[in-house]
Amino acid sequence: MMKNRIRNIEPYGIDSKQKKIFFCKEINLLTKHHYSNSYQYKNLLNFFKYNLNNMELENFPFLPTQIFKEIDLLSINKRNILKKMMSSGTSGSSPSRIYLDRDNAYNQIFVLAKIMSTILGKNRLPMLIVDNKTKNPTKISFNARIAAINGFSTFGKDHTYLLNDDESINFIQLTNFLKKFGNSPFFIFGFTSYIFKSIIEKFPKNKTFDFSKGILLHGGGWKKMEDKKIDNKSFKNLLKKKVNLSKIYNYYGLIEQTGSIFLECPLCSCFRTTAFSDILIRDKHFKVVQNGRKGLIQLFSLLPTSYPGHIVLTEDIGAIIDDNKCICSKSGKRFKVFGRSKKSELRGCSDTV
Amino acid sequence: MKNLEYLVGDSKIYKDVSEPYNTNIINLLSDLSYELNNKKYYKSYSDIKTLSFFCRKANLLNLKKKSKNYDDQPRLGLGLVFHVTPSNIPTNFFYSLIFGLINGNSNIVKVPSKNFEQIDIICKVLNKLLLKKHKKIKNFIKIVRYSDNDDYTKNISSYCDARVIWGSDKTVENIRKFRLQPRSIELTFPDRYSMSLINSNEFVKLNTEKKKLLVNKFYNDTFIADQNACSSPQLILWTGNKIKKSKLLFWSLLSNLVEKKYDLSEMAAVEKYTELCKKIITDKNIKDFKNFSNNIFTTSLKKINSEVTAYRGKWGFFYEYETKNLNILNKISSKKIQTLTYFGVKKELLKAFMIKNKLSGIDRIVPIGQGLDINFFWDGYDINRVLTRVIDIK
Repeated sequence: MMKNRIRNIEPYGIDSKQKKIFFCKEINLLTKHHYSNSYQYKNLLNFFKYNLNNMELENFPFLPTQIFKEIDLLSINKRNILKKMMSSGTSGSSPSRIYLDRDNAYNQIFVLAKIMSTILGKNRLPMLIVDNKTKNPTKISFNARIAAINGFSTFGKDHTYLLNDDESINFIQLTNFLKKFGNSPFFIFGFTSYIFKSIIEKFPKNKTFDFSKGILLHGGGWKKMEDKKIDNKSFKNLLKKKVNLSKIYNYYGLIEQTGSIFLECPLCSCFRTTAFSDILIRDKHFKVVQNGRKGLIQLFSLLPTSYPGHIVLTEDIGAIIDDNKCICSKSGKRFKVFGRSKKSELRGCSDTV
Repeated sequence: MKNLEYLVGDSKIYKDVSEPYNTNIINLLSDLSYELNNKKYYKSYSDIKTLSFFCRKANLLNLKKKSKNYDDQPRLGLGLVFHVTPSNIPTNFFYSLIFGLINGNSNIVKVPSKNFEQIDIICKVLNKLLLKKHKKIKNFIKIVRYSDNDDYTKNISSYCDARVIWGSDKTVENIRKFRLQPRSIELTFPDRYSMSLINSNEFVKLNTEKKKLLVNKFYNDTFIADQNACSSPQLILWTGNKIKKSKLLFWSLLSNLVEKKYDLSEMAAVEKYTELCKKIITDKNIKDFKNFSNNIFTTSLKKINSEVTAYRGKWGFFYEYETKNLNILNKISSKKIQTLTYFGVKKELLKAFMIKNKLSGIDRIVPIGQGLDINFFWDGYDINRVLTRVIDIK
């Protein structure tokens, strides 16, 4: 499905005017694709009286990400499902269920590789995974953390897991890893909360372990950090102090749009869209807000073909940043994420606790 | 006892009774009404103001007068009433307490484990009044807060004379595991479903001011509790010949009002939208839908029957059905249905209809705007009768 004209594009190598035309055209085609291949999606768009010829970014129809927790949505024949990905559903809710066919899975890896090469280079680096090795992962069903580890592992070699099964740190393994690979660039990956509760909280002081050649990619959200009053800046400072690590990249991504992730710009600490993705911010009326204003994050991705997840409305609050240009001069919209929107306290007499 | 907090009263349990509408009790409630009618409380909590208004002496005496019409046989409280009250309406516990108290019963009220400031305010005022001036009736009121303490629920259930349960069907089921004494009674207020009936012919006749007034009343029935109270309408039945015009006018006016008065959160907007998408995708009974600036979604149904109670919305998500006459109520009536609020239909007509058709459901039929007004006829119970003991003297 994804044509070479898309594959050949560099993540940050397209100027905004060009991008707009190209991107809307592709999203239009993708919307038509899902309309013709998912009867559920078609039904919905018919109800919304959506005009399939639309070319305006803000007028494309969006699905709420929560819908993937409620309904199995497919734009392929069930026979062609290669794997099922599941979000780590928050307590009490069921997880999102995303179905991939061969093409979609391949495109995710292909685009992710392109984006990752901008921080890791072309070669595979030795990789330290801040997590434990999963036992018996079922082959076709993945939760978000395992999916992320599996996905990013493609860009490393000599994979070494930092944690034991009980989440204690395997210092012997770590010492060996650093002895062998610590003197040239190596890749570190983990969920933000895992980095915090292992490297920052459990490593000995005084830079006993030297991560100065490390390149850290971390994601999964800041929710657990907020309780501890740790923001991105203090997170970075603590890592610098503890293990002399300074190449740190936060990423933002959804299981519904795996592959087209958003990397943090090391200079301005904003996330940045690539040629494969775009963002809009909407208010509670779903009107697009001015740049700089906070609102609900709507995300676009050119990757989803086996399920209609190419345009989704998240529950996350963010803002597009355009006050002054970042000196990195890469293309793409810059944005910040402020976490999940506040849970609405429902009144009413439905329950007794 | 572990995991238990006494907000009013202590661990001692009483079974004091009095005659209904005892002067001491009326005086306590009217003093409470006076104390709560204080700007520093109701500034932040309109529900405190509503409660204060309900408890004023004139209203209580009026209720007393009405209750006298029943019969001239003497009545007394049953003994101890145990109330399990809902988690999401902060002042509901107190109305439940009034049900028991005004009829001359001792009460143990379990309030939600979630902390609501309204509960703290009411208990503070109550404690002050019971300490001195109303010391005589302090045995009648105990308010407790606990969670995960089945032992307490079990103990009190086995000792009380009446149990009152508010909450979801599941809550009722859970509490029912704990046995009552053979002579004890139980009142349950489980999950119910409510709807509205609007005669479009009469609606279009109203001038703009009156239209706005009606819409404002409808707002109070719904948005005050996020459309999630049992008595808030989920389904609107439209009758008459001006339905199309009425709908557009009614919802537009309501949307404007919501825009001004209601704080729709981003999360609520997303959840409402998710519910809409889900319904459209999975339910073939959806005819069409309209979006009024995200403030209100209206979804019309192709067919309705007694299963209609599954169509529930929150935060301004309404289902609609157009009908020629009242006979549709025969088709959809079930025990699940609590309130029908109405506009533009004669009360006598509704009365005659209910008697003639002997519907299994619908316990309240009140004008739009009175949906949430609690009184001593509730969920089909006549509270003054069921929470008292009549002594037959001839």
